[in-house]
Amino acid sequence: METAGYTQSPGGFGSPAASQGGDKKARTRAQQIVPCTVSQLMSAVQAEDVFKVGEVEIAQVTIVGVIRSTDKSTINIQYKVDDMTAAPMDVKQWIDTEDMGVDNSVIPPGSYVKVSGNLRSFQNNRSLVAFSVRVLEDMNEVTSHMLEVVNAHVQQSKPQNTMGGGGGMNLMPSMSSMGSTGSYSGASMMLVNGLSANQNQVSQKCFIPQGISMQDLKQKLSSMSVTVIRQIVDFLSNEGHIFSTIDEDHFRSTDNEA
Amino acid sequence: MTGVYESPKPRINASLLSQYIGRPVCFVGRLEKVHPSGKALILSDGEGKSASVELNDPLDEELSGIVEVIGMVSNKGTVMVVSYTQYREDKISFDLELYNEGLKVLHDFPQHYPFEVSLSG
Repeated sequence: METAGYTQSPGGFGSPAASQGGDKKARTRAQQIVPCTVSQLMSAVQAEDVFKVGEVEIAQVTIVGVIRSTDKSTINIQYKVDDMTAAPMDVKQWIDTEDMGVDNSVIPPGSYVKVSGNLRSFQNNRSLVAFSVRVLEDMNEVTSHMLEVVNAHVQQSKPQNTMGGGGGMNLMPSMSSMGSTGSYSGASMMLVNGLSANQNQVSQKCFIPQGISMQDLKQKLSSMSVTVIRQIVDFLSNEGHIFSTIDEDHFRSTDNEA
Repeated sequence: MTGVYESPKPRINASLLSQYIGRPVCFVGRLEKVHPSGKALILSDGEGKSASVELNDPLDEELSGIVEVIGMVSNKGTVMVVSYTQYREDKISFDLELYNEGLKVLHDFPQHYPFEVSLSG
């Protein structure tokens, strides 16, 4: 039975007092942005205002798919995004009429995009309210998303997660034949603090007051290509783990040094 | 045929075609050849194996590089294309071999990348 309006996953804003203190551990988990498939979002079990895919609690999610249709009004853009796992998913993006910095032009059908947003359920209809719909410039993100989805859900399914070391490696037997492109090494498959090993490596380098420059990052992380470092920096920045300091190429961590 | 859009379309390579006869699929491959009629293409997957795909209408544009097709697999093991998308490679080239490795992961872990919607009570 749903009350008027649509159901929200607890994001921290205005959660009613009654639901506080109930399930602290699950709440922490729901703060991560989880890569998913449309089929997982449609199959997710809803208990009150919480969505779960198996053991994984989801609120903010990312999907990667191709735009099948668009519909623009003055206040929002509606897309149907097809990631091949189910029927195309409804994605709604609100138009921020005052923010001139945000590009509100409609992305044409046939374009591959990565959508980041919150899962919503309204009258048995599941949709995503997107805070980001980004055209893919590197189609290898299709491949990386596929792997990230499996990784995110495999990790959360293990009851005792031994993060770090060789704990998770035996889950991916077919990965041993990979290696043609160094940037997708098996080590980057495991999540610590919700970040992959590569992302943690970059993040750890950012505890410099005036920010670390891209040059220094490239130097210190010689095993990673510039493209990968740039991708990781963009990701960490979007997630709020780092911010730019003196210019666009200097970054500092938002966390206190551990 | 429009039902294909609304269905799950498992990502497969050429080796899996025979297991998906009569089912909708998504096939990504490198364009190798276009039939003179413009209605048939040969695509090669990340393992170097080829697949034939057939279009309803002749191609009306130049296609090259990596192409993703969705459609039904015929009895002959060809893909009857409902729609296709060319993967852009203007900035970064697409690693088809790596995509093939990704496919193996998907098929190894179907419970974590389902090509179906399970309706929960």
